[in-house]
Amino acid sequence: MLEKKIEMTQAIIDQYGVINGDNDTIHYDDELAKSRGFRGTLAHGLNVMGYAAGLAAQMYGDRWFAEGELYTKWIAPVCPGDQLVVTMDDDGTIEGRVAQGTTMIGYARLVNS
Amino acid sequence: MTRPSEVKPREGDQPGTPYEVFEIGAELPDMAFSITPQINTEYLEAIDEQEKNYSLNGRKVCAPNVLSVYLLAVLYRRYPPIQGIVVYDQLWKWRSPIFADETTDLIASGKVTEKFEKRGRKWLRFSAQFRKTDGTIVAEANHTLHLPE
Repeated sequence: MLEKKIEMTQAIIDQYGVINGDNDTIHYDDELAKSRGFRGTLAHGLNVMGYAAGLAAQMYGDRWFAEGELYTKWIAPVCPGDQLVVTMDDDGTIEGRVAQGTTMIGYARLVNS
Repeated sequence: MTRPSEVKPREGDQPGTPYEVFEIGAELPDMAFSITPQINTEYLEAIDEQEKNYSLNGRKVCAPNVLSVYLLAVLYRRYPPIQGIVVYDQLWKWRSPIFADETTDLIASGKVTEKFEKRGRKWLRFSAQFRKTDGTIVAEANHTLHLPE
């Protein structure tokens, strides 16, 4: 099993937001995010997906770049202060977890194989 | 180099699109952009990845998921976003590598495939295809979003 741990911070969210080019306040306005019932601002789902994609590239090597398939579903938020642990089992099953529970599920696999 | 912010309408910059306006089957027109080594480097830094882990037959290659920062632009250029859109799921199929030692010109297009209300929420699905200017398919994606009230 492969694993990646991230201590989520607002700085990480902001850095991703710069390359992502968005202005969705749910990622940047803590007060607004809490008013909508979240624990704080939300890490971008695609940022969290990026950690899983990194594990998949590590697992599948050269073939990943032209035969890879990645599915991710976000089921709960990742907020600043969370320790995010993303894992990929030997069969490609993906899970992202924080202390409150599972935040992301999915899979990575090779097709055309 | 095309930064995502150059092609992606930003939330709040113009009136956003309410759920009712999205049309199933609507074509999302061609979007031309360029992936450069600098964009790939910046993206890898943002997802805590190392460039040295990305090579193909001894040649530097981009993380294929660098395309993910351009995906919503395909939708938003036709349907400008409202605040509070939440991603639900995403499927990517990588079909051809993007090399990281050169600039790659790409064209992305897509289609709205579904919209529906479920459990009191409003949902939208769209697909996108990324191809090189010679027609080579680089990646295909399907994305589901939850639209706020």
